[in-house]
Amino acid sequence: MGRIEVKDLHFSYNKGEEILKGINLSFDKESTAIIGQNGAGKTTFVKLLKGLLKPDTGDILILGKNTKETTAAELAKYVGLVFQNPNDQIFKNKVLDEVMFGPLNIGQDHEEAEENSIKALEMVGCKDIYNKNPYDLSLSERKLISIASIIAMKPEIIIFDEPTIAQDYVRREKIKAIIKNLTENGKLVLTIIHDMDFVAESFERVIVFQNGKVLMDGHTKEVYSHADILNSAYLEPPHITQLCNKLGYKDTFLTVEEFIESKQSLRQK
Amino acid sequence: MKKIVVENLKYKYPLTDKLALDGVSFEVNEGEFIGIIGQNLAGKSTLCQSLVGLVPHFYRGAYGGKVLIDGKEVLKSDISELALKVGMVFQNPFTQVTGAKLTVYEEIAFGLENMGLSRNEMIDRIDYALSLLDIYKYKDRNPFDLSGGQMQRMAIAGIIAMKPEIIVLDEPTSQLDPQGSEEVFKAIQALSHEGMTVIMVEHKIEKIARYSDRVMLMHQGKIIDFDTPKKVFSRGDLKEYGVLAPAFTRICRAFDIKDEEGFYPVTLDEAYDAVVKING
Amino acid sequence: MKAITLYVPKDTFIYKVDPITKLFYILTVILIPIIAPMQFVAYVLIAISLLIILSGGIFKKVLPIISFSAIILVTVVIIQGLFKIDNKTAVLSIGPLTFYKEGLNYAFEICARVLNILFAFSILVLTTKPSDLIESLVRKGLSPKIGYVLNSVLQIIPEMTATMGTITDAQRARGLETEGKLSTRIKAFFPLIGPVVMNSLIATRERAMALEVRGFNSKNKKTFLNEEFKSPYSRVFRICLILITILTIFWRILS
Repeated sequence: MGRIEVKDLHFSYNKGEEILKGINLSFDKESTAIIGQNGAGKTTFVKLLKGLLKPDTGDILILGKNTKETTAAELAKYVGLVFQNPNDQIFKNKVLDEVMFGPLNIGQDHEEAEENSIKALEMVGCKDIYNKNPYDLSLSERKLISIASIIAMKPEIIIFDEPTIAQDYVRREKIKAIIKNLTENGKLVLTIIHDMDFVAESFERVIVFQNGKVLMDGHTKEVYSHADILNSAYLEPPHITQLCNKLGYKDTFLTVEEFIESKQSLRQK
Repeated sequence: MKKIVVENLKYKYPLTDKLALDGVSFEVNEGEFIGIIGQNLAGKSTLCQSLVGLVPHFYRGAYGGKVLIDGKEVLKSDISELALKVGMVFQNPFTQVTGAKLTVYEEIAFGLENMGLSRNEMIDRIDYALSLLDIYKYKDRNPFDLSGGQMQRMAIAGIIAMKPEIIVLDEPTSQLDPQGSEEVFKAIQALSHEGMTVIMVEHKIEKIARYSDRVMLMHQGKIIDFDTPKKVFSRGDLKEYGVLAPAFTRICRAFDIKDEEGFYPVTLDEAYDAVVKING
Repeated sequence: MKAITLYVPKDTFIYKVDPITKLFYILTVILIPIIAPMQFVAYVLIAISLLIILSGGIFKKVLPIISFSAIILVTVVIIQGLFKIDNKTAVLSIGPLTFYKEGLNYAFEICARVLNILFAFSILVLTTKPSDLIESLVRKGLSPKIGYVLNSVLQIIPEMTATMGTITDAQRARGLETEGKLSTRIKAFFPLIGPVVMNSLIATRERAMALEVRGFNSKNKKTFLNEEFKSPYSRVFRICLILITILTIFWRILS
């Protein structure tokens, strides 16, 4: 059994307007990106995973626990969610205190919380600003602080909501490294995202949502090889994949580096 | 005709000690589509705001140099006066909702009412802007009930309806899905072909490469380069400025595929043509 | 999301009367009992308002307003009926309690006035979109800025509730319990209110900029997307209302 089991999930905010129409999914270790058009139901799905919303029918099991029977606060030990806008959570006037808030909430003692928070800040590259006031930092630094504040809670599962919005190349690389690090340490990383190139560079599995249903689910390479289906879901393959498709290559390449390597090794032969 | 002239612009926000803009000079012609790229905090948003007069009129702070919009000096004009010539779309769609209107349709009318347009003129313009951004179907919705992507389209429509001669957009498609942002880029390109001057800040580098006539590379409040996408993205030192070249350019660079002028291709079609040519 | 309003869309004659005329009506209905403080005057006015309400099809919506204020009015009747200082003539005894005529009369007078005003306001509030009312006032010379503030209060409070929802979610996601015991709720206060205040400060600044670039401070004469609310009888109505007021004054002076 996977760490997350979703069984025949249905959900609607208003009667008669179903947002999620029967989702069956299982997540274990593979880092997974959920992609889809605006309004496909991705955000709602993530809120359900986090226990912030409860299924109308069907079940979600997080490490065997049914979200219907636990509160979002209890689930916080196992599932972390990094919100899109860091301003929605920051309220302490010291970075370290902000990061320690979550760990203390879920019952870590002060020493443990501090240790985990420092480690988390180190991982996101913000250790040297632990003493600053979060409001004196730039928005992209605040974003990293909000990521650290989830990592410090040491959840098994970490979900990112649009981690790359308004981030420049340097921050994007930083977030990529964080996701890689988390995955290598055995965490299940999920994200909802519109940035197709970033998905290709960082995620092993891709799930395509359309109109509240799963349209495609598979390894990143496999999903991105179906340009026609992606287009029908108002998405597009990564840029390098588009070029390879146009040039008529049979193989699907996900990143520029991968493509360059494969061609160069061909030449050397 | 020169639509925007900036001469040695220097600007410092109040209570800070570093120049946000440090000796910026450039000119933009009517109908050009300019893409601005650079790291976060490079001064891109500040530059945008200096074109509509928010810098310095809204923020105050230390200001030097000159910005001329269609011959009018920003320092000596009111924001509302400038608003008739130059419109601006901000990053966050949520805070661009006025909060005083009950429907999307009325929301778009806000700027037009302030301009003092006749009712018929307003209706024509609102219908046009809503259709251009493909949100006509939401016209009777409450503005706050839209999704982030729809709100972003509404924010753009609200400015387009004012028919400014220049439109400044600060990451206007961040909340949109891939095809949605492609549609928005196309709509804005169409406007620039009709003569509207476009200034756009964007991290989506492949889109900037494809749609801009010229690209401005900024770093630490200065302009590093301001030239055609090909020339800017063919630079070898982009990473030093925290910018990654488009995927197509990186591939062509790796295999040393250049066009006749000695620059790397920057768009899908250019890269395709170049590769096909080489492979015969 | 909904703006804060009691307005219920319908299609009866009273909806076709413009907001300014309704304001005239309220004013008249308040003025007349002051000019002519006889009890029957108030009753007549209540009857007229009731007639408008019934024929306008909004009686059901008025009921909750009336029943809410009834609680207060009943208290007035009890207190005045029992304890008014000049109470002399007993009319009714229930056990140890005795109600007096003077007190009851006075209480009914108050009730009549309150109901009178309440009915008149209900007609305005239930049949007029707040934004229409504000727009009419701006047309009549109210500063567009004040108009904006009034309008945005009605919209932005629900919007802030929505922001509050997102923030609550973000903190629950970090293990903050927000439901249950009072002590839990008090503990949850700062993590919730901090981001709300910060967010609204940031939002206010950004919104101010967005309004500026849409010409909010423009010196041009403002125009309106919506057509002016004009009904053929508005004028007649307003003149009638003014005439009635003047007649009441004459009648009062002469009698």
